[in-house]
Amino acid sequence: MPPAEKPKTACKLEYPVYVRLIVESDPTQAESLAAQVEGLLRADDGFALYDFHVTPDASNATIAFDALRTVQHTDPASPEHKESALTVNVKADSSVKSTETTLWSWVPLLEVRHNPGDAEDTATLAVFISQVIHRIFTEEQNTISYLLEETAFTSGRPIKQPSPEIKAELDAKKTRAFKYASTYHLTFSLFTSSALPASWDVEEALESTIQPLINRFSGISHFTVDTQVQLYASFSPSIAGPQYDDTSREWQLQRSDLSGFINAAEWPLSPGIGAGPTINFVLFVPSQDQSPLVIAENGGNSWLIPQWGGVQILNPAGKQPDKLTAHHLEPVMLTFADQLSTLLGLPSSPPSLALRIQSLTRERATSIIVSASSTLGALARLSLKLKSIAIPKSVANSVDETLHHLDQACRALHAGQFHKALENARTAEDEAEEAFFEPSMVGQVYFPDEHKVAVYVPLLGPMGVPLVMVLVKELRAFIKRLREKKSQKAKDE
Amino acid sequence: MHLLTLPTPLLTLLLPLITPALSIPQHTYSEHLHLTPLPPASLYAGFNFTSTTPLSSYLANNFRYFPRALAQILQYTHTSELHLRFALGRWDDENWGARPRDGGREGGNGVELWAWVEDDLEKGGKGAEERWGELVNSLSGLFCASLNFVDSGKTIKPVLSFDPEGMLEAGQLARGNVTGKGQGKLRLLQGMLPHEVVCTENLTPFLKLLPCKGKAGISTLLDGHKLFDANWQTMAVDVRPVCDEDGECEIEIQQTVDMVLDIERSMRPRESPIPRPPPVEDILCDEDKSYHGHDTCYPTPYPGETEWSISRIFGRPIRGSCPLSSNPDDFDLTLSVPADRNVEVIAEAAVPQHSPLNTQIRAYKLPEGKTFDLLLPQQPHAPTYVQNTSLTPPPLFVTRQITGYGAERGGMHTLIRNPLPYAQRIVYLESLPWFLRPYMHTLKLSGPGRMEKMFYTPLIDRKRGTQLELLLEVAGGSTVELTYDFEKTILRYTEYPPDANRGFDVPAAIVRVLPAEGEVGQGQYLRTTSLLLPLPTPDFSMPYNVIILTSTVIALGFGSIFNLLTRRFVLVEEVPVSPLAGIVGQVRERVGEVWGRIMGGGKGSAGEESGGGKDRREDALRGGDGEGRRKGADGKPDDRKGGKER
Repeated sequence: MPPAEKPKTACKLEYPVYVRLIVESDPTQAESLAAQVEGLLRADDGFALYDFHVTPDASNATIAFDALRTVQHTDPASPEHKESALTVNVKADSSVKSTETTLWSWVPLLEVRHNPGDAEDTATLAVFISQVIHRIFTEEQNTISYLLEETAFTSGRPIKQPSPEIKAELDAKKTRAFKYASTYHLTFSLFTSSALPASWDVEEALESTIQPLINRFSGISHFTVDTQVQLYASFSPSIAGPQYDDTSREWQLQRSDLSGFINAAEWPLSPGIGAGPTINFVLFVPSQDQSPLVIAENGGNSWLIPQWGGVQILNPAGKQPDKLTAHHLEPVMLTFADQLSTLLGLPSSPPSLALRIQSLTRERATSIIVSASSTLGALARLSLKLKSIAIPKSVANSVDETLHHLDQACRALHAGQFHKALENARTAEDEAEEAFFEPSMVGQVYFPDEHKVAVYVPLLGPMGVPLVMVLVKELRAFIKRLREKKSQKAKDE
Repeated sequence: MHLLTLPTPLLTLLLPLITPALSIPQHTYSEHLHLTPLPPASLYAGFNFTSTTPLSSYLANNFRYFPRALAQILQYTHTSELHLRFALGRWDDENWGARPRDGGREGGNGVELWAWVEDDLEKGGKGAEERWGELVNSLSGLFCASLNFVDSGKTIKPVLSFDPEGMLEAGQLARGNVTGKGQGKLRLLQGMLPHEVVCTENLTPFLKLLPCKGKAGISTLLDGHKLFDANWQTMAVDVRPVCDEDGECEIEIQQTVDMVLDIERSMRPRESPIPRPPPVEDILCDEDKSYHGHDTCYPTPYPGETEWSISRIFGRPIRGSCPLSSNPDDFDLTLSVPADRNVEVIAEAAVPQHSPLNTQIRAYKLPEGKTFDLLLPQQPHAPTYVQNTSLTPPPLFVTRQITGYGAERGGMHTLIRNPLPYAQRIVYLESLPWFLRPYMHTLKLSGPGRMEKMFYTPLIDRKRGTQLELLLEVAGGSTVELTYDFEKTILRYTEYPPDANRGFDVPAAIVRVLPAEGEVGQGQYLRTTSLLLPLPTPDFSMPYNVIILTSTVIALGFGSIFNLLTRRFVLVEEVPVSPLAGIVGQVRERVGEVWGRIMGGGKGSAGEESGGGKDRREDALRGGDGEGRRKGADGKPDDRKGGKER
């Protein structure tokens, strides 16, 4: 049960970002540089949602780097851990001409190398660093303002809205990606037109390519993986099928066929049992006499089906192999990994995976808070509109739980504990959905009163007929009286 | 003594798969079709598809031949061993002998399911009943069957009738080693749906589970039109763990389809399936009849065997082979006919063939990617099946009927006949729906039989059916009679199905003939036919009739009281002349004239007029209703006139 806190203020979505600054070249400079960078970062109105904190770190860079790495390997979701979003390491390097930056992919580390020979002062360096950090957060900032657009969370705050082009791009991204779930089932299927190849070294290939990616995502969602081999897979009857092109000597699939390529009736791609959506990855090997099979427009061989999964065509060179080895599968799995990250809604920038996953955590937390709140709002409107609806105790409890967890999520967000925020938001969302789709309430909404009337028609019909007849008669008499009165008057006059 | 007793040759062919020769479990697959002609003019076809997967890849969800959809269900519901049956028709014991595969791949009419499910209730997990519910619901979706109707009222827990086929304990242990989790206790649950009509929509998902999907190999013969036209057919899915001594386990799935086709009916062309009399020249006449003459013919059946081929019976030849067989020496197809029977192979490529065990069996290997057909030409001598003395007599004959009359009471009557010269021990299992209430005090076993044990679970209304399991000993060459009386329940109005007068299905009784002392194996299974129980049915239109009747009575009362309260009573003279009355009067006058002319006298018309006047007086008292009346009275003369003219 949530504690009874009387004055509840609306949650103000705000994202504190902690940046650690290490100045390897001159640790004494760290303090002033940090202050300047923080000032510059906060000064920009475009990033009003973020609350940047830059703290100088005097520790040795290598130690810091090691610490960073161990932190990444321990539980990132631990509530005590104040997530430092980014570490900036300023190095002196006489070999560079102008100031350069490197973003590490697996850890959130930005390396800045500047030439100590240059007569650059700290102010220029601070401007440079703040610009780089802004660039890193641009896409995330766009996404979050897009998510918050026209919601109550933006009220009273000027939030810069992204341009229409970027909005269209975000729209496309939203339709492509799966809705957030705490568990995803990944199904990798090999479909073959003929009986060969009948097996694949999928375990090995998954271990080397997909598993590391999944491990990275483990802070956000859980994944189950299964694989299957299906032989004699025929094309869907709804598509035109591949056409032979004489000039390129290839079999070509038209663009219009791609959306209907999956033969839903024949191919056993049933979703997994248990909660959570299934993401399908289909590797299709065409038969020998329809090989090579490519997409007509661009000669490509893979495509993405929004909110469903990815498809890839593999044309093995030469004779159909009995077995697809890990060597065959490596490029395939890399494409699948790329498709998986798109389907999970991973932002395309910055180039660092660690930072992208951080962004995804914040974006997901925001979107779930927004959707849980809107579900709750819809439920409230429903109960106001249908006054007669009986609300079961379980729904009331769920609503209480939702409110409590939303509150917790909001607090965690303010404290910079994004994983905790995500977890609470997820619980809130589940509870809100449960309350909204309570079966007994759904039944009450659709109970028709017409049925009761139908039963009483045999009674109401015969009783109604004399009543109506009398009414007609009385009306007629009334009109007659009226006319008589008129003629009487006329006579009198 | 062949395939119909126990598929011994088949087992020998498959033996390399089952024997623990393979130290490391592999993904394996094999398929086999066995054909035997049966009297009279029938053909038994038994399909078997077996695939295995190592337990480690099963648990890691890496599937090759094992269907992923089924594996997910089994893992989710913690099911260790599963047996699912779809059956239709009746096995003719008298003509066809013992059942194929010892009856072990057969089900009662409709759908039957039994499974060993883990019970984790003590550890705070889900109970076996809850998981069973999930299992039947998931399977119902997978096989498009109404399995979800197997609720607590149709579920029983047999004690003696079923033994696990797989090594459940070793399997549990190996599973625990891989997952690192302790396992719950396994419980056996069984459910039957005798009302379910097995049809093409169940065959399609069944074929989808096969690696070759009916696109290559013997599964190309499986066509709904032929399969469900069979005199008897049963489809089975069996999943079990198999382990060797080292504790290496694999999960085996066997899919079997057994059917008995009527050769003559199956060979009718699909375009015109209505049988037509053959031309007179083709009819054989029985010349011994006294009335046989040049214009009369008493048709007699062909003394030999008619020509048949796989492609004519199944509508198509076998298209290629399923090239996944893990043992290249396996033969895909065996045919059991006498050694001197002429059999032609029609194939696009050379077919390796062999008579593996004795001269009665011929084995063939299907050519890859080419069609294959077997033709057994017309044979003027005695039919193959007569020579085919290999048919084993069944170990037991069982029939079950409902006796009695009326809507209140009835009786169950089961006859068990042991044709063998020695005594046999059998387990007799009945699962009765809750609306059939047996009187246990009337349970009587008469004849030279002995009841050794009885397991009985009484029914609970709407919650649980009766489970009756008897361990009997039936003396050699004798017939035992098992009878009891029962009462029929009146159901609630909403509990009746739309076709309530058809009767309610009572599932088949399952009889297990226990193996004799010193014999190993499961024994043999027999199933009786399912029964139809007529229950007292109410008049389903009654509630509506009651509504209409009461409504009419109330409306009538209301109408009269309303009229009494609202009408004004006046003298006839005070009634204003309605405009309608004028028109009516004119019409009447004219009719009267015509009438008078025809009759040649004014008497009739005067009578009419006086009648009309009386009416009008009444109407004035009763109110407006009279207008309609008068019109009706008016119609009469017209009618009469019409009749006259005609």
